[in-house]
Amino acid sequence: MKRLRKFSRAPITLGLSIFAVLAAALFISCESTGYYTPPVVTSKMARTRSGQSVDLATLQNGRTLFAHRCIECHTLPPVWHYRVEDWPPIVNSMAHRASLKPAEREAIIAYIRAVRSLH
Amino acid sequence: MLASLMKKCGWPILLLSILPAVSCFAGARHFGFIYEAPTSAPGSFEFENWVTWARTTNPEHSDQVAFRHEIEIGVTDHLQASIYLADWFYQNDPAHSGSTYSDSALELIYNLTNPVTDPIGLSIYQEYKGGDRLFEWESKLIAQRNFGPLILAYNATLEALWEGKGLTERAGEFQQAVGVSYEIAPQLSAGVELLHEFVFPEWRDEETIRNVFVGPNVSYRHRNWFVTVSALVQATDTPDEADFQLRMIFGIGL
Repeated sequence: MKRLRKFSRAPITLGLSIFAVLAAALFISCESTGYYTPPVVTSKMARTRSGQSVDLATLQNGRTLFAHRCIECHTLPPVWHYRVEDWPPIVNSMAHRASLKPAEREAIIAYIRAVRSLH
Repeated sequence: MLASLMKKCGWPILLLSILPAVSCFAGARHFGFIYEAPTSAPGSFEFENWVTWARTTNPEHSDQVAFRHEIEIGVTDHLQASIYLADWFYQNDPAHSGSTYSDSALELIYNLTNPVTDPIGLSIYQEYKGGDRLFEWESKLIAQRNFGPLILAYNATLEALWEGKGLTERAGEFQQAVGVSYEIAPQLSAGVELLHEFVFPEWRDEETIRNVFVGPNVSYRHRNWFVTVSALVQATDTPDEADFQLRMIFGIGL
């Protein structure tokens, strides 16, 4: 806060108008953003990963880490934004910045592969 | 001598000796004057430097350049702590010119919900600031929603200030801030932010000062560092308030 200042009254119509529009956009326009939201983990995702054993808890952890750690620096890309084979190097390249342990990287990659295997 | 040095510089030395061992990035800012809901990853450390230039021309011309040196620490998945090692400023006006230490502070942010997977991302913020004849308490509600590459953020802030000899001078402030940032590329984003302040000198509502500031922001991040710049102009006409503010935040993972 700034130090104490002199009294004044100032017109605020412009500011209030802009503020109202942006605040309304923030709280009202929560319509579907399904394309960008990481899909919720389902049992079908684990089943489709034939030949590898990935449990639901790992996939759930992968989704949580994907949604929480990546947005500390940038917005979250949709899981279909890159090819499946491109995701592991992308995740690994940013793992240090996101403070991801090896098991956490693997969980994120497993989650993305599981989602992509359904589409 | 060592004891005296530790007494004077104990915290910075202790922190800087610990940091190289952990070395992670705590996250980038998209806004200069608005906080975002996500908190830093556990175990991450970041050193941030803030520079804010404020120019006032009404009623007389003055310039102030304020500096903040901050260590940001990811404590848990949802809790982030920051230590403002030093807030100080350089002032240049007709009556006075020179630099002054202002305060140091502790800031805590607790994340409640995620701005991508939940309908709205929420965090609560608490800050305690102490300095030469100054104590300040600040609480904030941080709301954020991400729409793909678009970030919408809102802060509601309540501040209480005690200053002067015996901390007998009081003031309060309620501030709303809203901002939008669009990610042009994963490393670059730009947007607009708006602040709406209600200042209460001596906590008297009849003397409320209202200020509105609005302006653009741009943020660039690369590897383990980022830089964010915001420029705000005063949309109201309040005397003794800055007509123009320019803030740059530079953060680097340690």
